[in-house]
Amino acid sequence: MPPVGTIHEGALPKGLRLTASDRPGQAQPVPTRDIPTRPWRAIALAALIVMVACVAGWEIWARSAGLRTADIGDSPQKWAEMRASVKPDDLVIVGDSRILFDTDLAHFQRLTGVYPKQLAIHGTNGRNLLENIAADPAYRGLLLVGMADTSYFRPVKAGAGVGAPWIDGYERNREPSQVTGLTLDRWLQQLFAFLDEDMRLSRLLSRVDHGWRKGVDSPYDDVWKVDESFPGRQRFMWGEIEKPGYLQTQARLAWGYFKGDPGTPQGIAEVIARSRTAVTGIRARGGEVIFIRPPSAPPLRVNEEKRLPKAKAWEALLAQVPAKGIHADDLPAAQGLDIPEYSHLSRTCATVFTDAYVRRLVTLNDRVRLRADAPPPLSTANCKGQLAGAPLRPN
Amino acid sequence: MIFNSLTFVVFFAIVLALHNLPFSWRQKKLNLLVASYLFYAAWNPPFVILLWVSTVVDWWAAQWMVRSERQSTRRAWMIISVVVNLGMLGYFKYGNFLLENFTLAVNAAGIAYQPHKWDIILPVGISFYTFATLSYTLDVYLRRAQPAKHFLDYALFVTFFPHLVAGPIMRPTELVPQFEQPRRASANMILFGLTLLTIGLFQKVVIADGLLSPIAESVFDSPKVPLTLDAWAGVLAFAGQIFCDFAGYSTSAIGIALALGFAMPDNFRFPYAAVGFSDFWRRWHITLSSWLRDYLYIPLGGNRHGPARTYMALMGTMLLGGLWHGAAWTFVVWGGLHGLYLSVERWLKGRFGGWRPTKAQLFGLAILTFMAINVTWVFFRAKTFAGAGTILASMAGHAPGGVPLLPGFDLLAAFTVIAAIFLSHWAMRDTTLEAVIQRTSAWVLAPLLGLMAFLVIIEQGRGNAFIYFAF
Repeated sequence: MPPVGTIHEGALPKGLRLTASDRPGQAQPVPTRDIPTRPWRAIALAALIVMVACVAGWEIWARSAGLRTADIGDSPQKWAEMRASVKPDDLVIVGDSRILFDTDLAHFQRLTGVYPKQLAIHGTNGRNLLENIAADPAYRGLLLVGMADTSYFRPVKAGAGVGAPWIDGYERNREPSQVTGLTLDRWLQQLFAFLDEDMRLSRLLSRVDHGWRKGVDSPYDDVWKVDESFPGRQRFMWGEIEKPGYLQTQARLAWGYFKGDPGTPQGIAEVIARSRTAVTGIRARGGEVIFIRPPSAPPLRVNEEKRLPKAKAWEALLAQVPAKGIHADDLPAAQGLDIPEYSHLSRTCATVFTDAYVRRLVTLNDRVRLRADAPPPLSTANCKGQLAGAPLRPN
Repeated sequence: MIFNSLTFVVFFAIVLALHNLPFSWRQKKLNLLVASYLFYAAWNPPFVILLWVSTVVDWWAAQWMVRSERQSTRRAWMIISVVVNLGMLGYFKYGNFLLENFTLAVNAAGIAYQPHKWDIILPVGISFYTFATLSYTLDVYLRRAQPAKHFLDYALFVTFFPHLVAGPIMRPTELVPQFEQPRRASANMILFGLTLLTIGLFQKVVIADGLLSPIAESVFDSPKVPLTLDAWAGVLAFAGQIFCDFAGYSTSAIGIALALGFAMPDNFRFPYAAVGFSDFWRRWHITLSSWLRDYLYIPLGGNRHGPARTYMALMGTMLLGGLWHGAAWTFVVWGGLHGLYLSVERWLKGRFGGWRPTKAQLFGLAILTFMAINVTWVFFRAKTFAGAGTILASMAGHAPGGVPLLPGFDLLAAFTVIAAIFLSHWAMRDTTLEAVIQRTSAWVLAPLLGLMAFLVIIEQGRGNAFIYFAF
């Protein structure tokens, strides 16, 4: 039965109304829209109650899974906002998830008085970000380029990975609607724990597939949530991954122990050549670049070394590019750190590693110095328990 | 801004509140006009200038057309309007495409020429508002419609935010009269409008973006050759994605307008239940297909000058319709295929016009139509002809070196969702959404709507733009 008030023209089947396709070559009249005669107020109220109840249940479930409102998430818009805030003399960090998760920005600030602009992106090739900064004609600051070798020396044609749309979408993500959306998102993220990329319905649904089809990687084997995000694009490993158990094991398996094809000499040479061009450009404007290689656990490191031996990749890079480097192997205070899922440091060990590399950093350049009131050096022992220190404080 | 964004939620709440305050009708229209400009400027503020240019040029062109007694003057103003509108559309949308093809052509002729690439940004929705505003001057020129009495009403017709960037493509005669008299949505209109908005967002955020888009991407954006099963799943997923994306936008737009007290026309009428291709185009993107029919196909001769001219008009219209969707030859082929389908159907109807199919035969023809439509979607979605060829070959069972691309869940999701869409379209092909809601129990409607809203929220759409924004 059509709604009351339905206006029918012509000889359409009962229940249909005419559209422009039924009236060729004529001025189209003001459209008619039927309003079904239903108890709309009661329906709306009941629908609202159902929606609120379901959202409340979902929120309780998310919190019981270990998600927190303090975790405000990261996004291309946040990256674009940070990228836009970079001033010519700023200290900037680029790279992949290792330098992103393994750097404690507040501790960096406690040591040096500088809160770096964190521009690293998970799943991304740091070289692309180095080139992005190098393409900025105004930039002449200190740029720290973090790397997981297998990511940094990925063939040039492979692109920037996860970060490609973040980098390419920079202009779009600075549009007024994106900026206002980001502001609202920040507010909501502080209220609801379920507003997490990894809690998206479609993402959870796809994970019910535990390898149903042979020959295809199951989404279940992909990395799920491994980190938390805080203001200033500070990201740390998620506490649930640090606990032995299913999530930690799953995260370890997700990395596949970094097995893969070895880097080719041509590929390595091309990456080094591109890096040299980018670094030379920054140095020509008075800037400086320092590479940093955070640690990885032995089960991964052995495969990383097979694919990209330190002498052929890291050392060749430093030999051919006008930049210095800090390798985790060369930092005594950064040995034996806790790397729960083999690729990224635990929350507290990230602070210890930051402490170690910043103390080395200040010896390699004169742009950042240790503050006179800098806290004493940390050691592996500080990885245990909760570290004291100022709360996270972005500029 | 887009409907599936937090910014829009706040924007719409403010607009709705303002619209229901006791302002004068003129003030309410001014509020809507300013809101519409803000809605558009939220993407790229300078492009509002293009909207103004279109609005002002067409307003004056229509005014001068009416004031002039001479046909040549009327024609001159119509041509000015067409040139200005299509000129802007041509530059912003087809500038790079034309330059690339010109370069290819002269290089093929042996002339070494390599121009600097133009860095042209496509203004959002330019194809939509250009067609809307063009229909105004064309209707006035064809004496189908009187010009708007007030500039404010006309400017609001062009800019009215629910239809501005992705349709439905409205004609001035459909909307301008609605601005002439005060209109106020009743509580039921507002609540039903919000119901439509919820349904539209569910289609877009949950089905199109959440479930189907990643499946289509996995197949179309992979450098590997898909197995036959994967190719079909990818294409069917795209068929579902583009419908839910675009119909979701139209449903949302209609709901938003309704909540403000305005009626917008249907843009989709369960298109995957179409039996034949002319039926498909009476159900898919109705406001575009009828626009092309009224302002292109009929002026090209339509069916008034014999079969040959009819087929030429049909092909010309569909080829240009393809190009309207995107500045690439793949879109032209997509349009050409539809033109071919329509031509073949027309010829068959001429030969077998007396045949009356049974219900079962109709269902079979609907499946056949749907499958043929899927072939065209390959050209719509693939970025290159090589990519389209690979997918089509795999669909036909020829997949040398093919590998499985989709996990089991994706296969299940693609086939289940598309079956649900197809069957629901079939079940509703001779009715309307409103008629179905009318006979559905409130005890079913309420939890269903609540659940849809909940699913939209937990899918947390990342504000992905609607596919048709790029057109």
